[in-house]
Amino acid sequence: MALPERKTDIGPPHYEQFLPPVIKKNYGKWLYHEVLSPGTMKHVAESGDEIYTVRVASPRLLSTDSIRDICEIADKYCDGYLRFTTRNNIEFLVSDKSKLDPLVKELKEKNYTIGGIGPRVSNIVHTQGWVHCHSACTDASGLVKSIMDELYEYFTEKELPNKVRLAVACCVNMCGAVHCSDIAIVAVHRKPPVVDDENVPKLCEIPTTVASCPTAAIRPNPKTKSIIINEERCMYCGNCFTVCPPISIHNPEEDGVAIVVGGKVSNLRSDPKFSKLAIPFFYNDPPRWPKVVQAVKNILETYAKHARKHERVGEWVERIGWERFFSLTGIEFTFQHIDDFTFARDTFRTSAAFKF
Amino acid sequence: MSGKYKTPMLDELEKGPWPSFVTEIKKAAKKSDMAEDELGQLEKSYNTKRGYWKHGGIVGVLGYGGGVIGRYSSLPEEFPGVAHFHTVRVNQPSGFFYTTKALREICDIWDKYGSGLTNLHGSTGDLVLLGTKTENLEAVFAELSSRGWDLGGSGSAMRTPSCCVGMARCEWANIDTMDLCNELTQYYQDQLHRPAFPYKFKIKISGCACDCVAAIARADLSIIGTWKDSIQINQDEVRKYAEAGLDIQKEIVDMCPTQCMYYNPEDKTLKIADAECNRCMHCIAKMTKALRPGKEKGATLLVGSKAPIVVGSLLSWVIVPFMKLTPPYDDLKELIDKMIEWWDDNAKPRERIGELIEAKGMRAFLEAIGVPPMPQQVKEPRKDPFFFWAESDFKK
Amino acid sequence: MEQAELQEKIYEFMQKMKGKKKLKEKDIIKHISGETGEDKDVVKKALRAMIDEGRLMYSYGGGASSVEIPSEEYLREKGLIK
Repeated sequence: MALPERKTDIGPPHYEQFLPPVIKKNYGKWLYHEVLSPGTMKHVAESGDEIYTVRVASPRLLSTDSIRDICEIADKYCDGYLRFTTRNNIEFLVSDKSKLDPLVKELKEKNYTIGGIGPRVSNIVHTQGWVHCHSACTDASGLVKSIMDELYEYFTEKELPNKVRLAVACCVNMCGAVHCSDIAIVAVHRKPPVVDDENVPKLCEIPTTVASCPTAAIRPNPKTKSIIINEERCMYCGNCFTVCPPISIHNPEEDGVAIVVGGKVSNLRSDPKFSKLAIPFFYNDPPRWPKVVQAVKNILETYAKHARKHERVGEWVERIGWERFFSLTGIEFTFQHIDDFTFARDTFRTSAAFKF
Repeated sequence: MSGKYKTPMLDELEKGPWPSFVTEIKKAAKKSDMAEDELGQLEKSYNTKRGYWKHGGIVGVLGYGGGVIGRYSSLPEEFPGVAHFHTVRVNQPSGFFYTTKALREICDIWDKYGSGLTNLHGSTGDLVLLGTKTENLEAVFAELSSRGWDLGGSGSAMRTPSCCVGMARCEWANIDTMDLCNELTQYYQDQLHRPAFPYKFKIKISGCACDCVAAIARADLSIIGTWKDSIQINQDEVRKYAEAGLDIQKEIVDMCPTQCMYYNPEDKTLKIADAECNRCMHCIAKMTKALRPGKEKGATLLVGSKAPIVVGSLLSWVIVPFMKLTPPYDDLKELIDKMIEWWDDNAKPRERIGELIEAKGMRAFLEAIGVPPMPQQVKEPRKDPFFFWAESDFKK
Repeated sequence: MEQAELQEKIYEFMQKMKGKKKLKEKDIIKHISGETGEDKDVVKKALRAMIDEGRLMYSYGGGASSVEIPSEEYLREKGLIK
């Protein structure tokens, strides 16, 4: 069968054709919204029109069969309109209020996970992991599933002092805003890469490879036409592996994950912040990474117990001080916690006022 | 074809209440050899704690240099279904809105030519079709583009812009994020499909300082809606919040970072010293019926954020504190063009614009794009008494 | 200069550089524009036409995009040769 004629540079379809009529009518004229339950909210327009949203979790990795199932529900209750959130949730958009309760009922019957709105844990933003990435040194989807099984009720029900944004990155390239999340997991290497001297000259540009190292640990090796790594200087970032595949940074026995905390992107109350190191390392422990899951839960619940209402994790830690964060959570403080990279000097304490 | 692999490790991840990605792969595996071998290879990764994907390869559709990420298994004999398992990035519509008709159309195409696995959505925002063979790429592109879909960006190019829900369903949107996102995506079609930049360039657009797309953390150009005049107050609604039990003094006034608010518990009214307000959105987000952003709306433009590779993460820096943004956004387009031109002329390969600004100095960047120095651009002025004087500074 | 002639110059340059250095679109345009005196936009247009018809192609490797002469495998896959 002949293929239809291809078109180039047309860009995405115009969003307007995908908007429910009530949104089109009240576009830019919304007045306020109310959170009705952990997974439902109502937006009211200046005209008095209303739209209801039901938020449902997804694993981000979706089969076409599941997308069709979701479409069937959206046809039944939402006139065929739906959207997704930046955190990989599905949002059913209900224009007819009488369809709201039946929709929620059917979603519950079909075991969809409703929630994630308000001061709770929302879906975890994450990367591809072993599912589909060459650079991954853990599996993002497996970590997400294991953590969210454990924190399930913080998505569907339980309130926290404020929103808690979780993220998982399967290497330090960090596709997604892992570096500014309340609690995030980032996979790390701990050993210098192994150089395949035979293939480096065939596949890589030596100057580019040398230049790729942030700590100047790579120099050319004129004898082999390959490169030499000064292992003492290597910080295992893997950037050389990205530009030159025969430099293998993977080390299944010594790769693992770190936990960082206290980042945020919103400007509410305090400036956006980077996440900072809480726990430098866990071994990869598939399929369920139990120690990582418990560590995340411990940080979350310590925050829930001690933070004031509306404080994000980072705001809470800044109020009580990092030394207090370590004593309250019982997390050990190590050499890895003290920065020795680009912005190190801004992190050393320059005051005699602190806590014991 | 299902049941080719025993997957005891992955089966563990079908237990528990959270939706399981393993169940999704198994669903697709019932219909696709590719998805089935994906399952087999992933189980192996769970046993050996390592991935089996090679570096991206050189694949794409004719004429484009992006939108397809080459992916090959390093174990093609053991898992032939994923010998090729390329990603197709489909440019999402602004705000991630869809009709079921449109989604089903994409599913039909993907069942025919791909693994049946997707990501809704990838980190940048594209609708990601996960896993197809090289020989199917032109067919997938013809089927998609003839139905009005195009590919997103990858490589050293403009990446697919993305935005928050904005005016479609949010009362806090100070700019029309979805329209702007669509406009910029259309304007940069050439740069998006044909990688000619030193490295990636990302644009993300949020309607207010809540920043629901995390623009400030992961976009080379972060566009964040704001306003210039006074917060609109509805005192009737303030009173209703108080009567409904909100502790306005403790939860709103005491948490205001600029201490610009005064609450009178006698008559239950709220006053704001707007000149002192820094527009953080805390009070508006907590009292959405009573408080609204002002009427003089626009956006702050910030530049430079990125993930840690390679000398550390950056958040975007304020460059233009306030700009009115109305269609067709010519002023903005002109300014972005200038930013990109300066970056393209000066950057080393794989150098992001934030890194270049650090290397060349903020002054060089501001002068190149014609933006004057303003106190909003810095947290504080410099500390040490070492500073440059240019010829032009003496003439003043 | 005729576009065809310009394209020959580009192709010659690409052949010469093959396996030596990964070239970005900008590198090619800069070099050919310098060599021929043609405006950069004219060179860009000629280059684009070559990429559109598969005589050259975009490539990706080492974390960056570049332009190169396509392999036979690529041309066969695109149906440009048998």
